[in-house]
Amino acid sequence: MTKDLDLTDIQGNIIKAYGAYNYQKARYLFLRVNNGDKGRKFVGAITAKVTTAISWNKSGNDPTVEKPTATTNIAFTYVGLKALELPTASLRGFPEDFMMGMAKRKDILGDDGPSAPENWDNIWKERVHIWMSINALNTEALIERYNWVVQQVEASGGGVTLLTGHRGDNGEDDLPYQEASVLYDESGESTPKEHFGFTDGIGDPVFEGQTNIAARVLGRGKLMRDGSWAPLATGEFLLGHVDEAMEYPKTSPSPTLLARNGTYMVYRKLHENVGTFNRFLDEQSKSFPGSKEMLAAKLAGRWRDNGAPVVKAPDDASKAEWDKAFEATDFAGKKRMLTDFNYNDDIHGAKCPYSAHLRRINPRGSLEYGVTDAYETPGALVNRRRILRRGLPYGSVKDATRDDGNHGIIFMALNADIQRQFEFVQQQWINYANDFKEGNDKEVLLGNHDAQHPGKVVLQVEPGSGKPPHFVNNIPRLVETRGGDYFFVPSITALKLIAAGMVDPT
Amino acid sequence: MSNIAGKAYAMNVITPIRWYTTWTNKLFFKAATLLPSTLKGLQTLSLIHYARWVIIPRNGFPHLDSSQPKEDLHYAYMLFFSNFNGSWDQYVDSFTFAIPSGLDLFWKWNVRYPKSVPLTPFHNYIRHNQIDTAHYYNAYPMAASNDVKSAQKIKKALINFNAKSSDKSPEDFLQDYYQLLNDLQHHFGDMKPTPIVSLSSYEVKKRYEQTQF
Repeated sequence: MTKDLDLTDIQGNIIKAYGAYNYQKARYLFLRVNNGDKGRKFVGAITAKVTTAISWNKSGNDPTVEKPTATTNIAFTYVGLKALELPTASLRGFPEDFMMGMAKRKDILGDDGPSAPENWDNIWKERVHIWMSINALNTEALIERYNWVVQQVEASGGGVTLLTGHRGDNGEDDLPYQEASVLYDESGESTPKEHFGFTDGIGDPVFEGQTNIAARVLGRGKLMRDGSWAPLATGEFLLGHVDEAMEYPKTSPSPTLLARNGTYMVYRKLHENVGTFNRFLDEQSKSFPGSKEMLAAKLAGRWRDNGAPVVKAPDDASKAEWDKAFEATDFAGKKRMLTDFNYNDDIHGAKCPYSAHLRRINPRGSLEYGVTDAYETPGALVNRRRILRRGLPYGSVKDATRDDGNHGIIFMALNADIQRQFEFVQQQWINYANDFKEGNDKEVLLGNHDAQHPGKVVLQVEPGSGKPPHFVNNIPRLVETRGGDYFFVPSITALKLIAAGMVDPT
Repeated sequence: MSNIAGKAYAMNVITPIRWYTTWTNKLFFKAATLLPSTLKGLQTLSLIHYARWVIIPRNGFPHLDSSQPKEDLHYAYMLFFSNFNGSWDQYVDSFTFAIPSGLDLFWKWNVRYPKSVPLTPFHNYIRHNQIDTAHYYNAYPMAASNDVKSAQKIKKALINFNAKSSDKSPEDFLQDYYQLLNDLQHHFGDMKPTPIVSLSSYEVKKRYEQTQF
């Protein structure tokens, strides 16, 4: 089955991870709507510059659209749509999770202790109605587009307010935007890394309607019985399209024009406790039978230096072999080596532990536990739990022994059903592990570990080898939530309807 | 009232079925019992404590006393009774996509059964015919089905280990101990309270606990 998406109707941030297109700088803005009429006019002004998902003029492509120096996207909270005076008949069609917003879902998400909403950035004490993103090729383009948005805010005549309250690099807590940027190595080259040193964003899901699927789907779509990979159904990530359950997403508000080609976005600011992580890794690697880097790889499921999947390079010796093959192959081969794998040869987790971040967030076919043809399809328990991941690191590590600097990740997840996809993964697979037969053992990197009762995970070894598994104990909380909310990312059509005040579910 | 106690969710579903077709369902049940491999999907879904399907004939409902009026039923009924971890809302996707043909076979001939895919009509069919749990007691609220299985396995292994290895030399004992850890490496998950199954059930639980002091 092939399917063409209306790329001019879909916001660009849904289809493109801008970081992968060399947009190294970003600012995220949050606004409040004070007046419905003026607020809608503001939305109309912004809509004119919203970046769509259309393919850009690249070599080999039909040159229709030039790649912009800066992109702009926009999304709304439930209270934001209410402030923009959407009819009640439309509002009541939104799902409960989105209506509540992220702070009220804290008990599901595990946002407790240092991650609790009372410890979030000041901006989250405001009524956030609108999210805007600017991604840019360079700082000049970023500032230029930001200034343009500020002009639109001013031109709204008090219709909208740009909210302040973001923490910054120099101890500020009242910035009017959240800055984010790729990280650079010593030579000033951009890297795909985050502050713990892991390579991020390699295996984003691939779904029906995206371009160049044959090359990208390996390891990123859904695993089929014959070992091949197929793109996931479009409706897992875009409203108004059929999903894996052979139906239109239940989370669609009415009318269809409001929902179709839109989706939901989870925005989370995740602070990384860099000092604690470095001490934890040093301490744990003392008793680990392997290098410190190997231990880091077992926790993440990928090696820190080049993202090598640990299931393909399970120890220091095999990693050296993998690196040689990786060096020798071309660009397409490299991509394939990074994404095209499953856990069929690692049923027991001896290579990639059950608790590894990668295996927890996307178990591929491994929840069949090696039982031949147990389920209708190997990904039966997985295909409805996938999320598109977007985002960039923020801040910089000035002192790698401390936690209290300004450093972390702006994490954004896109999915058609927040409760079934993002929240399920966060709650059941990160902070709990019954599906992995690991009881309450939390995933190491993102789990909301409790300082009073720190948890552990088991790094499995080859069964029958006589070797004991390795226990990672006293896991501290490595990542803390600093804020966020749930947003609706409308299509261009829906944005125009909202701006014109013409949404009519009758 | 709650269908949830600790980590377990109780599900009672009773659906009408034409009495003259029930023999086919009974045949499927029998075949499934005799050929356990037909149930491997259900067994691999390790979140299930157990599941049982029973046909109740038209005239088979309990009649406890002569003063109890006799009902005049047009249909036989199929009772589905299961305890599993998580909730129907959370795990309906897992059931549907893991064992759609199995579900369709068990509910075959049930009146207005919509098939398991697409999901929403199936989800609604079960919810519509579900009898919510009025009273539900769970002696081990922190134990999921996997925790019970692991605990049994660990207990047995420890007793054997004690019998076999307690008198060995320190070197041999250590070797046996490592082997024991290796054998049990998939059974060491922590057992702590359940993640919140839904915000409404969480509120119910909090209010209930306040009445216990």
